[in-house]
Amino acid sequence: MAVAASNSRTSYILDKLQSLSGIVPIGAFLAEHIWSNSYALVSPAKYNDVSSELQQVPWRIFVETAVLWLPLLFHSLYGFYIWWKGKSNITAHPWMSNWMYTLQRWTGLIAFVFIAWHLYTQRYEGHGVTSYADVQQFLTNPWNLTFYIIGLLAASFHLGNGVWNFACKWGIAVSVRSQRAFGLLGAAVGVSFALAGIAIVIGLHYGAFPLGGYVTGGGQ
Amino acid sequence: MADKTFIVKIKRQQRPDEAVRWEEFELRWRPHMNVIICLRDIAERPFTREGKESSAVSYEANCLEEVCGACAMVINGKPRQACTALVDDLEKPIRLEPLTKFPLIRDLQVDRSKMFDDLKRTKCWIPIDGTYDIGPGPRMAPEKQEEAYPLSRCITCGNCLEICPKVNADDQFVGAAIVSQVRLFNMHPTGAMHSAARLDALMGPGGIEDCDNAQNCVKICPKGIPLTESLASVNGQVLRHAIKSFFTAPKTIGSAAPEG
Repeated sequence: MAVAASNSRTSYILDKLQSLSGIVPIGAFLAEHIWSNSYALVSPAKYNDVSSELQQVPWRIFVETAVLWLPLLFHSLYGFYIWWKGKSNITAHPWMSNWMYTLQRWTGLIAFVFIAWHLYTQRYEGHGVTSYADVQQFLTNPWNLTFYIIGLLAASFHLGNGVWNFACKWGIAVSVRSQRAFGLLGAAVGVSFALAGIAIVIGLHYGAFPLGGYVTGGGQ
Repeated sequence: MADKTFIVKIKRQQRPDEAVRWEEFELRWRPHMNVIICLRDIAERPFTREGKESSAVSYEANCLEEVCGACAMVINGKPRQACTALVDDLEKPIRLEPLTKFPLIRDLQVDRSKMFDDLKRTKCWIPIDGTYDIGPGPRMAPEKQEEAYPLSRCITCGNCLEICPKVNADDQFVGAAIVSQVRLFNMHPTGAMHSAARLDALMGPGGIEDCDNAQNCVKICPKGIPLTESLASVNGQVLRHAIKSFFTAPKTIGSAAPEG
């Protein structure tokens, strides 16, 4: 009690950082990640070019730690603490925004478990040098593919709803109309990230290149 | 012909540490009854449905026209005011429970002081009286008055705290009602002189940051107050105040410009 003096700003700052880190860098990285992995739908050669370029980022381990691992760890662990402090009452009051509140917590947990496994298999076991062939081999397994789809759905929902939440929590969307507009924007983000992500993993599973046609000019 | 009757089930506790017991009362129906009339009927003839002698149910009520906020209770699972809960509109049997987010005193009576303490802590008043006449305050444009009026309808009933997942024993969130009052008093030209103190109070533990946007408050508010707008507005005010007070230092004296 002595630590939590009533004029302490620590919880305010931590909560604000938790909210911010979900958009930048984590949300921004998810956008980049889905973008660069979309080259899997173009051709293996292009995919390998893009991934080897990313794998040769200077100061790689420091950049990964500062931009990805620490923000992810903070966002997740502090998020679990926020979850623990709230007591969901969805069964008594099943309103849509109350569902979003509850789903935001569960999708966060699913995304956390998925990302931990994804990092272990792709970054740690793959030593951060995976190629198209490695990833395709991995996604041939239907269980791996299923977990990818679940993880992508959870992460996309969490980010989409997070965009709306961020707009409200940072006082960007104040009026009911603007909150509704940001809700639609969040839904668009969530649906498009989920669709793009699922298209990528299914493309890898079947070794298909639906976006390769106009690059090579003939679709061979 | 026998009188038309209906059943009221009440969650009762003599003291907070006593075991909960549910009692059922069979009441004679009359036109235009509300839940307060039911509780008065029980006080008049405190016998349960089985004919066992019981006692008058403890509850709070004052105005009986939904402006004092005192008779908030959980009626058929939803927090609302007993005075405007009409028997004819309610599913039978009617279930009455006390609010769960405030310390119980007895039966349906709870201690709602947390909200009044938080209103004091966040300086939700307008300083007009002093030891001397401080003169008339600035005029307020009619449009501003119209914006402020809906917020001024808050009756501090506590229904928005009751419905909020973030108000509980583990989280001392002040709740939507208090945040909305901060918005109201910061909106007022004289009240704005204390806006920094109000925003500071909402930056501490249990402050605005604990709102996680379940947005239940706005759906349950008996006065239709735009609570989600208030939460987002004050979120922005606190953020701008935090950034300004971190980066800047005062450069003028005597300015009472509102924060945010």
